[in-house]
Amino acid sequence: MYQKAFLFNGIGTKAEHLLIKLPPALIDKYHYYADEEFTRLGLNSALEKNLPFDRKVAEWIVSLLCDRVVYEYYLSQGIIPDIGAGYSSGIVSISGCFGAVSHSFANDIIMMNRATMECLSQHNLRLDVGIIIGLDYQIVNELFKNRFSKEELIVGSANSIISTMITGKAEAIDDAIELCLREGAIKAYRFKTGVAYHHPMMKEYCKKYTDLCAGGEYRDPDHPIISIFDNRIMTSGSDIRTENIMNVYTPIRWDLAISELENMGVTEFFDVSANGAVKKFTRVNKKKCRIYTLDEL
Amino acid sequence: MKELTEQTKQNITNMILDYYAEECEVDRDSLTMATRPQEDLESDSLMFVEMVETMSDKYDLDIKLQSIGKYLLKTPMNTMQDVADMFCKIYQYGNDIVNQ
Repeated sequence: MYQKAFLFNGIGTKAEHLLIKLPPALIDKYHYYADEEFTRLGLNSALEKNLPFDRKVAEWIVSLLCDRVVYEYYLSQGIIPDIGAGYSSGIVSISGCFGAVSHSFANDIIMMNRATMECLSQHNLRLDVGIIIGLDYQIVNELFKNRFSKEELIVGSANSIISTMITGKAEAIDDAIELCLREGAIKAYRFKTGVAYHHPMMKEYCKKYTDLCAGGEYRDPDHPIISIFDNRIMTSGSDIRTENIMNVYTPIRWDLAISELENMGVTEFFDVSANGAVKKFTRVNKKKCRIYTLDEL
Repeated sequence: MKELTEQTKQNITNMILDYYAEECEVDRDSLTMATRPQEDLESDSLMFVEMVETMSDKYDLDIKLQSIGKYLLKTPMNTMQDVADMFCKIYQYGNDIVNQ
């Protein structure tokens, strides 16, 4: 039933690392969309000239615009998805690309992260996410078990056997990183997002974001999307609305979503990120499946 | 412990250089054993992990990333020579690399 799955990345990649990967035809298209959206959103396309919170969301808007350009390129090459999955803010990106929301609204959702950052700033909360490379979900959970309370720190996403995302209070993230490195992580670092994405504590601080997601216009996506929270297959606009609302404060099981896609028959995964980032932290059964990137196509 | 022949050592070294040349999009001939993957080629940890997986598949190695991580705490990996030395030790000792 499903053979081809498109995978959309979340935030984290610097704009210049994405844009450098787009070939000339795609970079022209990117600039066309970027000029329109940056003007509409009141952002400066010279990212460094934006105010601090604006600068952050502007980088994330670049990521969404790159996704759109790559997605449309894949379609133009006759690569049509049977299903898709979005990692973290990749949910917003896939919602736009698969037609569940307009691209403008998807960008508005990303912009609303500003309100969340402002709310956290007003509450004097220092939060963040971290990435652990080389230790999987079970090892990290075991390490944290008697050392950190869930309020301080949890696993925000089980990415794969080689990558785990942690989320919570910045000081706890720092301590957790030191611990993981001592215990054999290949690398561990903070993302410096200022937000504890995918931590349940965020529900209290992202009301403007969730209200925006709840109040938007949704339609049924052009292709099904698998939930990265509970693996349900989403085919209605209502499903996509719920997924976007939950996004900021719900832990992810990306590994299980990928596994479920494999179980459903997917053998070809297409990384929609311009720089092939999803392929780097995702793991599939190499005997049956393959992940393709823009570079390879 | 596995025996490490000169041929295997050379094959491992070539594989490392080929891998970094392709992934970092540089000319293979421009790489030397003194090249620093992170500083000179902007390679990252996920690239390194993928190389570990490739090597493991090719040489049927049973190696946990955690063992490599603990080894790297004692023996940092800065140059291609360091990378080659590490993979040779993985080939020979597997997870016991931690104690080398």
